[in-house]
Amino acid sequence: MAAFIQRMGLLVLACVSLFVSGSLAVDKGNFKTCDQSAFCKRQRALKAGQSPYRALLDTLELSDSRVTLQLINDNNKVRLLLELYRLQGNMTRVKINELKPLRPRFEVPDVLVSDPPTEPMSLVSQDDNGVVLSLGAERQQRLIVSARPFRLDIVEGPEVLMSLNSRGLLAFEHLRMRMRKDTQANPEGEEAKEDADGAEQQVEEKETVEDGDKEEEEIDGMWEETFKSHTDSKPNGPTSISLDFSLPGVEHVYGIPEHADSLKLKTTDGGDPYRLYNLDVFQYELYNPMALYGAVPVMLAHSAERTMGLFWLNAAETWVDISSNTAGKTVFGKMLDYVQGASETPQTDVRWISESGIIDVFIMLGPTPADVFAQYASLTGTQAMPPIAALAYHQCRWNYNDQDDVKAVDRGFDEHDIPYDFIWLDIEHTDGKRYFTWDSHKFPTPQDMLQGIMDKRRKMVAIVDPHIKVDSSYKIHNEIRAQNFYIKNKDDGDYEGWCWPGSAGYPDFTKLQMRDWWASMFAYDQYEGSKENLYVWNDMNEPSVFNGPEVTMHKDAKHGDWEHRDVHNLYGFYVQMATAEGLIRRSGGVERPFVLTRAFFAGSQRYGAVWTGDNAAEWDHLKVSIPMCLSLGLVGISLCGADVGGFFKAPSTELLVRWYQTGAYQPFFRAHAHLDTPRREPWLFGPENTALIREAVRQRYALLPYWYQQFYQAYRTGQPVMRPLWVEYPKDMATFTMDDQFLIGKDLLVHPVTEEGARGVTAYLPGHGEVWYDAHTFQKHNGAQSLYIPVTMSSIPVFQRGGSIIPKKVRVRRSSSCMETDPYTLYVALNPQRTAEGELYVDDGHTFSFDSKKEFIHQSLTFAKNVLSSRSLCHDCRFSSPSWVEKVIILGTSNPKGVNLKIDGKVTPLEFDFDASMSVLTLRKPGMSAGADWTVELL
Amino acid sequence: MHFHIAVAVIIWAALFVESRKIRGISISYKRFYKERKSFLCIDGSKLIPFEQVNDDYCDCADGSDEPGTAACPSGRFYCTNLGFRPHYIQSSRVNDGICDCCDGSDEYSSPALCQKTCRNLGQQERAELEERMRMLSEGLLMKRQLVEEGADVWREKQAELTDLQKVAEDLQVRLEYLRRRKSDAGAQKEKALTAAQHPTGQEGLRSQIRAELPLDDHGQSLQDTDRLGDKDEGVEPRTDSAAPREESPNEAEVRGGDPSEDDPDVKAAVEAAESAVSDLNKAEEAHQRLQMEIRELEERLAIDYGPEREFLFLLGRCFQITAYEYSYTLCPFNQVTQKSQMGTEVLLGKWDAWDGPPEDLYGVMKYDRGEPCWQGPTRSTHVQLVCGTDSTLRWVKEPSKCHYAMELQTPAACQPQQPSRRGVHNEL
Repeated sequence: MAAFIQRMGLLVLACVSLFVSGSLAVDKGNFKTCDQSAFCKRQRALKAGQSPYRALLDTLELSDSRVTLQLINDNNKVRLLLELYRLQGNMTRVKINELKPLRPRFEVPDVLVSDPPTEPMSLVSQDDNGVVLSLGAERQQRLIVSARPFRLDIVEGPEVLMSLNSRGLLAFEHLRMRMRKDTQANPEGEEAKEDADGAEQQVEEKETVEDGDKEEEEIDGMWEETFKSHTDSKPNGPTSISLDFSLPGVEHVYGIPEHADSLKLKTTDGGDPYRLYNLDVFQYELYNPMALYGAVPVMLAHSAERTMGLFWLNAAETWVDISSNTAGKTVFGKMLDYVQGASETPQTDVRWISESGIIDVFIMLGPTPADVFAQYASLTGTQAMPPIAALAYHQCRWNYNDQDDVKAVDRGFDEHDIPYDFIWLDIEHTDGKRYFTWDSHKFPTPQDMLQGIMDKRRKMVAIVDPHIKVDSSYKIHNEIRAQNFYIKNKDDGDYEGWCWPGSAGYPDFTKLQMRDWWASMFAYDQYEGSKENLYVWNDMNEPSVFNGPEVTMHKDAKHGDWEHRDVHNLYGFYVQMATAEGLIRRSGGVERPFVLTRAFFAGSQRYGAVWTGDNAAEWDHLKVSIPMCLSLGLVGISLCGADVGGFFKAPSTELLVRWYQTGAYQPFFRAHAHLDTPRREPWLFGPENTALIREAVRQRYALLPYWYQQFYQAYRTGQPVMRPLWVEYPKDMATFTMDDQFLIGKDLLVHPVTEEGARGVTAYLPGHGEVWYDAHTFQKHNGAQSLYIPVTMSSIPVFQRGGSIIPKKVRVRRSSSCMETDPYTLYVALNPQRTAEGELYVDDGHTFSFDSKKEFIHQSLTFAKNVLSSRSLCHDCRFSSPSWVEKVIILGTSNPKGVNLKIDGKVTPLEFDFDASMSVLTLRKPGMSAGADWTVELL
Repeated sequence: MHFHIAVAVIIWAALFVESRKIRGISISYKRFYKERKSFLCIDGSKLIPFEQVNDDYCDCADGSDEPGTAACPSGRFYCTNLGFRPHYIQSSRVNDGICDCCDGSDEYSSPALCQKTCRNLGQQERAELEERMRMLSEGLLMKRQLVEEGADVWREKQAELTDLQKVAEDLQVRLEYLRRRKSDAGAQKEKALTAAQHPTGQEGLRSQIRAELPLDDHGQSLQDTDRLGDKDEGVEPRTDSAAPREESPNEAEVRGGDPSEDDPDVKAAVEAAESAVSDLNKAEEAHQRLQMEIRELEERLAIDYGPEREFLFLLGRCFQITAYEYSYTLCPFNQVTQKSQMGTEVLLGKWDAWDGPPEDLYGVMKYDRGEPCWQGPTRSTHVQLVCGTDSTLRWVKEPSKCHYAMELQTPAACQPQQPSRRGVHNEL
C-alpha cells in the first residue's frame, strides 16, 4: 500500500509537472522515442539481411479461398502460420500468426465491415524453392512464395509490384514463459511447458546481440519497462511483430495519419519512425513523426504507373520506418542517373513494427488511386453520410459560458448576417465535468435554450467525453460500476486516472454490452435536457489520462482478456461508434447522427467527423491543416477539419481571416478557441474583417450542394472529398508532393492563402489540354501551368475545372436548413472540346431514407454539342423537392441565337444574357424542377 | 360614420392590392414601383419588364427588383408591422421558415405559421418606452442634482487642495527654519564638546556657546557650522573639503564616554540638538504625508468625471454584485475586485480611462492592470454605464477568461436626447 501511495504521489507529480511546463511547445520528454519504447528499440536494432525464416513447403494447403503454409525460424525453431487470401477487388491478404501460441494473440475485431470476400487462387507451379500462385488471370498477377529464406513477391507480368520480407525484417516475438535465473521462483512453475519451449527461448534478436546467453536472452524491457515514473508490468513478455515491404518503382508514399507533417511521407533514416499511438499531445509540434490523437495504419504508394495501398490491421502501438534509395538525391542527380542510364530503379522500403497482436496485412493493388480507395472502402467501409448541416459552419469555443452567452452569440450571427448551423458547448456546460449533465446555474433550462436555437433552424453540439467522474452520486458512474463496465487495472480493480473531473473511470468500450448501454444513455429520457437538435462531440478518447504514461492509459490495464496494449488505438473508434449508435437509436433509427471525435482508427469514417485536435493560432498550423486533412482523406476519413483560428493562442486578425477562408473550403468547418484566449466571434474585428469572414462563410454555404454531393459520392464509393492533386492527375509528377493546394471532388481546385502578408500565390493548374476557370471572376486559364495570382485580403483562389458542372445555391440564408427548398444555379464550365458533366444530388438532408427507401434525386448533368441535359441516374428513386433551377451560367461558350428548354416534349424559349468579354452565357430563370429530366439547347 | 368606414376600407383595400403587387416595399419607395411597362433598377443599372419585379429572379444588381422575395443577395424586405415599428429585414429572411416580421409578412409562402405579434410588441414597446422616458426624466433630474452636488464636491475638493497646498507652504517655511535650527544646534553641540575637551584657553569659546544657547536666535552666522556638515539634505550645498563621513569617527569619539558629558553646557547643547533633530523629523514626516495627500487629491482631480463632472459623486463609493460563487466589487475611478466564497480576493483591474466609442466616450469605463492570469493577460474589466434612477450594478460577466464586463446603472449616465431614434410606428 505504501508503495502504491508512493507511486501515486509520483504520478501526481508527473501530472503537475506536465501542466506547469506550459511553454508554447510540446514537451517532447513526455512522449517516447523509438529508443524509449523497448519493442521498437529491439526491432529496430535488427538490420536488413538474411531472414531466419523458412517456408515449409510441404505444409502448403490450398483451398478455394486460402493458402496456408508454415514458416519456421531456423534460429529458435518457432513455427508461424502464414495465411494468404486473394480478396475480391484486386487485393491480397497476408496473415501471419504463431502456429501454436501459448495464448491467443489479439486480432482486431469490428474494424472490417465484414469478412472480406475471397476469390479462388490457383497453384501455377511448385518446386523446392517455392510456389507460384495465380492471383487471377485477368491481370496476370502472381504471388511468389520463396522458401529459403522466406519471402513473398507480388508480380504482374514481368514487373514486381511489392515484396514482403525481402529485407529479412520479418520478426515475430512468440509468446513465452519467463525463464528466471534470479532467486524469484517461477510462480507458474511449469517445467514441462518449458521443455517444449526450451529451444524457443532464444529470441530473434540473437544475431544482433553479440554475446547473448544461449540459455536465455532477456533484453531490458522485455518483461518490464519503465518510462518516466510509469512502469509497464508486461506480464506476457515480449510480443512484438515486424515485417518489411519493398516497393520497386515507388518514390512517393502517403497516409498513416495522424501526423502533423507533409503530405508526402519522409524517409525516417537517422530519425524516429512515424509513430501510430493515439495520444493527447499538449501543444503539438509540426513537421515531425510524433504520434497524435488518431491512427490509421494505411499507407498509399504511388508512382506515375500505379497506385497501391497497404493496410496493416493492428491496434497496438505501431512504428513505421520508411527508406528510399532515391532519398537525398537531388533532381539534378536523378536526371544525371537517367541520362547515364546508371539509375537503379527507384524503390521505397517500408517496415512496420507493432507491439502485440498478429501480422494481418491487406495489400491493395490498385492500380489507380480510385481503385485503391474502393478497395480500402470495401474493407473498412465508407464515410458516413453526414446531415447536410454538418457540412455547414460550426461555431465553437471553450466555452460559451451560459444560456445568455449562447443566445447573444446566436443573435450576433443574425445581426451581422453571417450564417451558421451549429453552436458548440465544451466541458464547462456540465455539472462538474459529469457528462450527460448540465451546470444548473449556467444552463438551468437547456431545453429552452435548444428550442431557441431550433426556432432559428439551427443546432447544437455538447461534449461527452469517455472519462467518467468517480462520484457515487453520479448516475452514469454508478451504473457503469454496477454493471462492471469499467476498464480494470492490472490488479483487477477499476482503473482510475486523472482527467477533467478529477479522478475518473474509463468505460470499456471494447465490450459490446457496454457500447449498447452507452448508446442507450442518449435516449431523450436518459440524457436530460437533450433535444433532437443536440448532437455530440467525443474528446479525450485516445484515451487521455493526465497522470498516465504519455498522458494515456497504462498498457497493462485490462479489457476483459486483453490488455490495453492490444486495443489502445481502437478505444476512440469504439467511443465514437457507440455514441453515433446512441444518436441513431434515440431517433428510432430515422435520423443520421453527427459525432465529432478526436481519436480515431481505420474505419472511424463510418461514424462521423474528425478534427486535427488542439492546434495553435500560427500560420504554420494553418498550412499544415491541408496535408493533415489530405492524409486523412486518403485513408477514408473525409469529414476532416482543423480548428479555424487555431485553438491555443490568439490569432492576428489577418490569420483569423485567412483561416476562415481556408476552412470554408475544407470539409469540416468549425471555429474553436481555448478558454484562455480572447473572444473571437467573427464580428469582433471591425466591419471590414467581419465582411471578409462573412463572405468566406457565404461562399461555403453557396457551395453546400456540391459539398453534399461529394459526401454522397464518398459514402457510395469511398473516394476522398478533399483530394491531393495527384489523385486526379496520377501521371503528373509535378503534383506528387503538392500540399499547399487541393481539390474538392475533382472539379474545384483551391489554393488558399496561408502566408502572412501575402501579395500573391502561385497555384498549379494541372492537366495538359485542360482549362480552369477562376470561380469568382470566370477568367479562363490553361492547365499544366503554374499561375501567379495576385491576392488581396478578400481573395480565396478557387478554380473550376473546364468540363465540369457544379450546382450551387446562391441564396445564402441564416442556416443550411433555411436553404433547403431554395433554387439551384448551375455553373457549367466548358472544356476545350466544349463539353462538361456533373451531377445533382438532393435528399431530405438528415434522415436515412435516402438509403433505406431510395428517397433521393440523383441527376446526371451533361453538356455536349450545345445541349445541356439532365437525366435521372436512379429510376426507382422516390423523392420530390420543391427546389428548381433558377439560373444556368455557361462558361467558355459563344453567343447563341436562341436557347430552348425542352421538358416532356414541350419546348419553351429561354431568356438569356451573354457577356462577350468573359464568354459567359447566363440563362434567366429556366425554372426546371431539380428532379426533372430536361434538355436545354443553345441554337 | 359610414363614410369613415368606407374610407378605411378603401385605404385597406388599396394597401392590400399594393402589397400583393409589390410586396416588401415601404410607402416612401412606392414611387419607384409605379406600374408601367418597364422597371428601372433603383441604381439605374438596368431596365427590365415590369413583370420581372418580384418574380423570384434577381435582375438588378442592387436587388431593387425583388423587394418581396429572397432572390437577391443584397435585397431587403420591408415589414410594415402595423401596430409596431416598421423595419427592413435582409431578403434572405423572406420565406426561410422563421418569422421575422411581427405581422408575419415575411413568411407568405412558407410552412412557418407566424403569429401576428405587432400589437403586443407595440404595446410592450410603448410601455417600455414610457417607462424609459419616465426613468430618463427622473434620471435627468437626479443627474442635475448630481451635477450640482458634483460641482459642490469639486469646489470642496479644490478648496481642500488649496488648503492643503497652503498648509504645505507653511510647513515648508517651518521646515526650513527647523533645518537651520538643527544645523545650528548641531554646531553649538560641537562647539560645546570641543570646549569641554580643551578646557584651557577655550573659555572664550565656551562662553560663546553659552551665549548662543538660546536657540531662537536668528542672527547666527552659519559659516562655521557648515563646515561641520549636516546629514539632512536640502540645506546649502557643502563644500568638497567638508565631507561629513570623514568626521564621523571624531564625532563618535566625542560622544563616546567623554567626561565632558557631565558638563551642563554640553548637556544643554546636546539636548537642544536632539530636540532640534526630533522636531525636524516630525515636521518632515508631516510634510511627506501632506505631499502624498496633495498628490492623491491632484490625481483625483485630474480624472475626467464627465463633461459636467456628473460622475464625480461615484468617487469613493463602491458597488457590489454576486454572480454564481463570486461577489464582485466596483469602486469607480479606483478598482474592481472579485471575492470567492472561500474569501480570496482578486484584483480585476485598476482605473484606467473612459473607453466608450467616440460618440459615447462616457458609456464605458476601463479598468486594467489587474492580477495576471496563468499563461494569459492581466485581468481587466470594462464597465458599461446605463441610465437609471439609482446607482447599482446590474450584471457581471466574464466573456473570455480574465476579461470581465459589468453594467453600472446610474442617473449620471442619463443623456437628454431621445432614448430611441426610431419612434413608435404611427402610420395609421
